[in-house]
Amino acid sequence: MTTHRITLTTRDGQPLEFDCEAGEDVISAAARATILLPAICKNGSCGACRASHVSGAHHHDDCSQAALPAEARARGEVLLCRTYADSDLKLQAPFDHSHVSFQPIPERQAKLSQLDDIGGNTVRLILTLEEDEQYGTSAEFEPGQYVELSTPDGSVTRAYSIANTANWEGKLEFLIHLQPQGKFSSYLSGQATIGDLLKVRGPQGGFVLQDNGTRPRCFVAGGTGLAPMLSMLRRMAEFGEMNACTLLFGVTRHADLFGLDDIAAMQASLPQLQTEVTVWQADADWQGSVGTPVDALQKLLATGLKPDIYLCGPPAMIDAAEQAALTAGVPAGQIFSERFLPT
Amino acid sequence: MFCYQCEQTNRSEAGAGCSAAKGACGKDAATSDLQDLLLHALKGVGQYAARLRALGAPDKEATDFVPHAVFTTLTNVNFSAARFVQMIQEAAALRDRLKTRYEEAAQKAGQTAEKLAGPAAFQPAADMDGMLKQAAAVGVLAGQDSAGEDAIGLRNLILYGLKGVCAYVYHAQAMGYESDEVFAGVEHALDFLATDPTDIGTLLNEALALGTVNFSTMQLLDAANTGSFGTPEPTSVRVTPIAGKAILVSGHEFKDLLNILELTKDSGIKVYTHGEMLPGLAYPKLKAYPHLAGNYGGAWQDQQKDFAAFPGPIVMTSNCLIEPAPSYRQRIFTLGPVGWPGVRHLDGKDYSAVVQAAKALPGFKEDAPEQRITIGFARDTVLGVADKVIEGVRSGAIRHFFLIGGCDGALPGRNYYTDFAEQTPADTVMLTLGCGKYRFNKGEYGDIGGIPRLLDLGQCSDAYSAIVIASELAKAFNCSVNELPLTLVISWFEQKAIAVFLTLLSLGIKNIRLGPTIAAFLTPNLVNVLVEQFGIQPINTPEADIAASLKKAA
Repeated sequence: MTTHRITLTTRDGQPLEFDCEAGEDVISAAARATILLPAICKNGSCGACRASHVSGAHHHDDCSQAALPAEARARGEVLLCRTYADSDLKLQAPFDHSHVSFQPIPERQAKLSQLDDIGGNTVRLILTLEEDEQYGTSAEFEPGQYVELSTPDGSVTRAYSIANTANWEGKLEFLIHLQPQGKFSSYLSGQATIGDLLKVRGPQGGFVLQDNGTRPRCFVAGGTGLAPMLSMLRRMAEFGEMNACTLLFGVTRHADLFGLDDIAAMQASLPQLQTEVTVWQADADWQGSVGTPVDALQKLLATGLKPDIYLCGPPAMIDAAEQAALTAGVPAGQIFSERFLPT
Repeated sequence: MFCYQCEQTNRSEAGAGCSAAKGACGKDAATSDLQDLLLHALKGVGQYAARLRALGAPDKEATDFVPHAVFTTLTNVNFSAARFVQMIQEAAALRDRLKTRYEEAAQKAGQTAEKLAGPAAFQPAADMDGMLKQAAAVGVLAGQDSAGEDAIGLRNLILYGLKGVCAYVYHAQAMGYESDEVFAGVEHALDFLATDPTDIGTLLNEALALGTVNFSTMQLLDAANTGSFGTPEPTSVRVTPIAGKAILVSGHEFKDLLNILELTKDSGIKVYTHGEMLPGLAYPKLKAYPHLAGNYGGAWQDQQKDFAAFPGPIVMTSNCLIEPAPSYRQRIFTLGPVGWPGVRHLDGKDYSAVVQAAKALPGFKEDAPEQRITIGFARDTVLGVADKVIEGVRSGAIRHFFLIGGCDGALPGRNYYTDFAEQTPADTVMLTLGCGKYRFNKGEYGDIGGIPRLLDLGQCSDAYSAIVIASELAKAFNCSVNELPLTLVISWFEQKAIAVFLTLLSLGIKNIRLGPTIAAFLTPNLVNVLVEQFGIQPINTPEADIAASLKKAA
């Protein structure tokens, strides 16, 4: 069988090399070599595995325009889960070597400990990981990462960002918007019972806090894109990090609002945090900012600030925010994003 | 960035030094540049601190801040750019306060205060980007065009030696031991470097003077260690794990080990040493804790493999830290001068998170097959059997001593030290210190008339013990240390080894075999000086070097 050598250089200049067989995408080839690259959907929908093509022949399967817009494709960007080598291939990754895992993704069991309606048709789900031979009771992950959760009967699996920080009690907190037709949502709103055992596969993902430096940070969240931002902000508070930071959080309708208590608590524990909550289609009762988080971002960047920007929410919001940031002169290397799609 | 302070610095045909986006140690360019700027700011602190001391008004805040801050710039200690930004600001604020104090003290003494320039007048930029621009002008090669390569090489020899001194000062301070003589030496060295000296003779003398300061520093640290924990005793220590929850303590800071032992007593948690913490197992006050279970892991450069396999929290009390892998990133903790971005740093010596992690993590499931080594041959133990040693030498049973000391590193060339140890003849004794021994300290070497053929003296700072032993033997044989049947085989990696090296030179000890490579900051001219004046010999092959040592002794 024809194999090609893939050389994927991480942002910090460390090459990862592995073989890719004919008909095999780059993410799968790396995984076969126990090199677990940041990726979520692995079917061209989410854009989590974006990288840049450097040299070598390849072909690229169809993918969501939201995950890889035409202009990004024109710049030589690819989705690794849709990239197939036709020769030896050199690629450049937008993440550091330390965010590549060389161990199988942990698979654990967790007990449903708490499930609360927090408004806006959103629930806070708290799981407690069962004691595990390899990991004990610890919940170890980077702020911003996600896990795949499977319902007790194993019939439905969905990826959700973790909203809390690594801890030794095995607690995992999620903010989940209940989708009208969503299968996992149906489980949560219908059958879920305290004590249920769910399968947890993770942590995974390369959308994580960029740790070095003192540059200001701007967190832009649409809907439950708030979850990874809370994780990052909570970690900043735990570590006593002094970076100036702003949270721009938006929802579509006033009735969709949730998490205001969490944001207030964040402000109390992270004194330098500035927040703006926006509602796009505001009603008469809404007294706060009207618009999208992208509008708020544009306003912030108009002051000349060039922060690290973290984006999480629907693809359209991410694309608009990325464009706004680039237009304002924020270097592409300072923009980090994770798209989520309603499932 | 440009950094060539350690042995593993990039060496290419274009010249030596790390100048890419990331150094060989994993330090990124911003952190490296900020370290240069911090050292520049600290020279300014030194300028005022030295003058205040001369006026009889030494500054306690300076003596607390400087050793810690300098230590953070040592290889494999701190990689956190944010921490350096903060320390640069703190250094400038301290310097401002010292300036005011100095002007007041001078006036009180009826003197006109000097108007100091250079680092003394440094004002840090408001943010990191601005600091990085400032750093470009104060790197370790700054002024080379006018001062020449040799002067720059010697300035850096002093600067790097000073980093080693400050590391030892910091450790002694942790146990409450301080010395005005040592502080004066540190402040003087910073003040001297702030003048951008160019005279080669003066620079050489200052380097040797720093070696003398380091001797006093190691003596102080020896007093701190033995005063706090007792005199090391020959001790058989386990080097394989036993079943149960576990904490791993790495680095050099015995005080942290003591604190963790105290906090975990009766908890069922076992505590293991790693790397340079190993000698802690031989100190009576530390080994009295029954849950100090032994040593875990090998050389520091193997830590990513060893730490990944350790089923509990890992505590880094000092160097050498290398980039924590994702598999243990959440359960490694840094203390004191150590730091890595995104890794939990414990301030204020609160170790409760470590204990919490140890309870949550699985620990070792079962006992590993037992393996032990014997350590703890510091000066009192060796001198306690001095009569046997002297008799052994006189009778010919002990033909020669080899002091194999210094640091370890990842380069394959360091196999020299393993091969050297394995090839030493059966009628010779090896003394080891520092972390270089991890390559060969689990070997079976036997004994000579009850004296083990491998005697481990301890950490790299226990070079002090080696010097005392050599001096006492020289007295007994009525000769100089250089005339003893003793060969010093020194491996260097980071800057504490440079401080020890300067001490050996300052004591007039000659014919040291130095490797695995000569420091990149030493120019050919400077190497010639070391060869001509001190008989420094770059290592050859173990066979040739052992043969030459024995021939010379015969």
